Amino acid sequence: MRAMTEEQQVPVPAVRKREPWQTGYWGPTDPDEHPAVIAVRQRFPEAFEQAVNFRDEMTIRVKREALREVVAFLRDHPELRYNHLTDLTAVDMLNLRDEPRFDVVVQLYSIPRRQRLRVKCGVNDGETVPSLVPLFAGANWLERECYDMFGIVFEGHPDLRRILLPDDWDEGHPLRKDYPLRGYRDYVQPGFERPAPRVRGSLPRPRP
Amino acid sequence: MIDFTQPTPVLLSEERQITETRRELVLNMGPQHPSTHGVLRVRLTLEGEMVVACDPVIGYLHRGVEKLGESHRYAQIVPWTDRTDYVAAPSNNLGYVLAVEKLCGIEAPERAQYWRMIMAELARIASHLVWLGTHALDIGALSVSLYTFRDRELILDIFERFCGARLTTNMMEIGGFSRQIPPELPEMVRDFCRYLPKAIREYEDLLTENPIWLARTKGVGVVEPEVAINYSLTGACLRGSGVNYDVRKAMPYLLYDRIDFEVPLGTHGDVYDRYLVRVEEMRQSIRIIEQCLDQVPADGPLMAYESNYVIPPHERVMTTAEDMQRHFIWVIKGFSPPKGEVYHAVEHSKGELGYYIVSDGSPIPYRMRIRSPDFVNLQSLPYMAQGAMLADVVALIGTIDIVLGSVDR
Repeated sequence: MRAMTEEQQVPVPAVRKREPWQTGYWGPTDPDEHPAVIAVRQRFPEAFEQAVNFRDEMTIRVKREALREVVAFLRDHPELRYNHLTDLTAVDMLNLRDEPRFDVVVQLYSIPRRQRLRVKCGVNDGETVPSLVPLFAGANWLERECYDMFGIVFEGHPDLRRILLPDDWDEGHPLRKDYPLRGYRDYVQPGFERPAPRVRGSLPRPRP
Repeated sequence: MIDFTQPTPVLLSEERQITETRRELVLNMGPQHPSTHGVLRVRLTLEGEMVVACDPVIGYLHRGVEKLGESHRYAQIVPWTDRTDYVAAPSNNLGYVLAVEKLCGIEAPERAQYWRMIMAELARIASHLVWLGTHALDIGALSVSLYTFRDRELILDIFERFCGARLTTNMMEIGGFSRQIPPELPEMVRDFCRYLPKAIREYEDLLTENPIWLARTKGVGVVEPEVAINYSLTGACLRGSGVNYDVRKAMPYLLYDRIDFEVPLGTHGDVYDRYLVRVEEMRQSIRIIEQCLDQVPADGPLMAYESNYVIPPHERVMTTAEDMQRHFIWVIKGFSPPKGEVYHAVEHSKGELGYYIVSDGSPIPYRMRIRSPDFVNLQSLPYMAQGAMLADVVALIGTIDIVLGSVDR
C-alpha cells in the first residue's frame, strides 16, 4: 500500500467481523484436524498424497488408481456423507510442473452437513482415471466434457465420446495448454473459398 | 444426374428399415426447433409415441469461454460471463467477481453487497419470467408469455438505468461497483416490488388451476430425491424433489444471512412442483429485495478502493500522481492475485453456478472453469424422458430451464 496524506484519505468501509457462518464451509482449516482428511489418510495410507488448505478450502490429493474408492468412501462414510458431486473438471499443469501433466479435480458437497471438499488426482497423458459414473450418474457429462477438452480417458465410462465439439473433430483437445487459442488452422466458412482474414489489433482508420 | 423419365425410387432410411422389425423410429428434434430454447438437438428413439431412448446433443453454441478466460486478464473476463447465461447476466457476473474476490482476499463494501443482492435477485426474477413464459408457450398457453415478457421489461429498464445495458449488463466489477447508484433507482426497484406480486397472481390465475396445465405437468418427469442428488441436480430441479439445498441458505455469501426468506420445496418432484417452486421463488426474491432496500445504507463507498486489486477512483486518477500510476498499471498489466485455487458458488436462477479459478500468480487466470447449472441439470433429461410421451419431452426441456449459451459455454 502506498502512503496517503490526510486529505487524500478515501472513506474506508468498516471491516465486517467474520461471522461464524463464514468459517466451516470447507471444514477445519488445519488438515490434521479435518475429519475427511483424517479418515482418508487412515483408510488409504498408500493412496493419500497430501492435503492442502488455501482460502479455507480443503483439497485432498490422492493417487489416480484410488480415486473411485476414495470418493465412494467419502460418500458412504456415515459421518462424512459427501453425497453430491458438484463438479468434475481437469487442469492442464503443463506450464507449472513436469509430472503428472493433468489434475482431475472433483468438487464434492455434503447436503446434510453443508460442507464442501475437493479431491484431486494427477494423471499423465495416455493414462486413465477410474470413472465416477458408477457412483454418481451426474459424472457422465462432466467426464465426457473432460475427455472432450483435455483428452483424459475415464475407465469404465459407459459412453465416452465428445460432447461440446463435433463428433468428428480430429484436431486435438482445446483446453490443453499447447493448443493454440485460434486453433491449428483457419476456419473456412461454408460457402467461402478462403478463410476470413485475421485481424490483429484494431483496423487502420481511413485517412481523410 | 437424376433421370426424370424414371419413377422416383422410395428411399428408406436406416431407421425406417429398422421399424420393419423393431417398430422403432429415430427422430431428431432440433437444433432449430422452437421448443428447445435455443440450439439443443435431442435424438429421440420412439416406439409409437413413447420415448424409448433420448440423447441430448449439445455444443452448437460452444464458444470456448473457458479457453478465452485463460487468455484474458481477470477484469476482462467479466463481460464474457454475461454471454454464458444471457438471461440472467448479473448473476453470472456475481459468481465470477465473488470467486476473484475470494482469490484476492478482498471484500466489497456493505452498500455494494446489498446492491449486488438486489441486482442478482432482479436477474433471478427476470430469468424466471422468461422461463415461465416460454415454458407455458411450449405446453400451449400462449398468453402467459405476453404478460411475463411485459413485466420483464420493467427489470430490464432498471438494469438500463443502472448500467446502460439491458441484456449483457457487465454491471459488477471486482471489488464492488465503480458506477454510482442513480438517485431514482431505489424508487424504481420499490415500484417494481409493489407491482410484481399482482402480476404473479395473474400468472397463477392463468396456470395453477388450469386443467390443461395440470394434465400436462402433473406426474410428468418425476425425479425422486435420491435420483436428483445422484444426478447432481441443483436449483429448482433439486428443490422440486424436496431436497433442501439452496446455496443462499446452505453457505450464505454476500449478506444473505441477514435476510429473512424461505426456500420453497416441492413434494412430488414433477414438472408441476418445479413450476410451483419457481413461482414461489419469485415471491421470495421480492421479499429479499424489499429487505435489502430497507437495510442498504443510502450513502457510502461502492468499491473496495483501499485494495490494490481494484481500479482506483476516477477523480483520484485525475488529481493524484500515485493513483494515476496505479490506474495505468491496472489497465495495462492487470493485477496478479496470489497463487492458489478457489471455488465459489452462487445460487443462480437455474441452480448452483460455480467458478473454479486456478491462479499461477500472473495477471491471467491459469484455468477458469464455469460449473454452469443447466449443463449439469440437462443430463437428467434422458432419465425424465424414459417412458414419457413425445409431447412430454417439450415440457421436460422447459422444466429443466436451460439457456444454451450457458450449457455450451
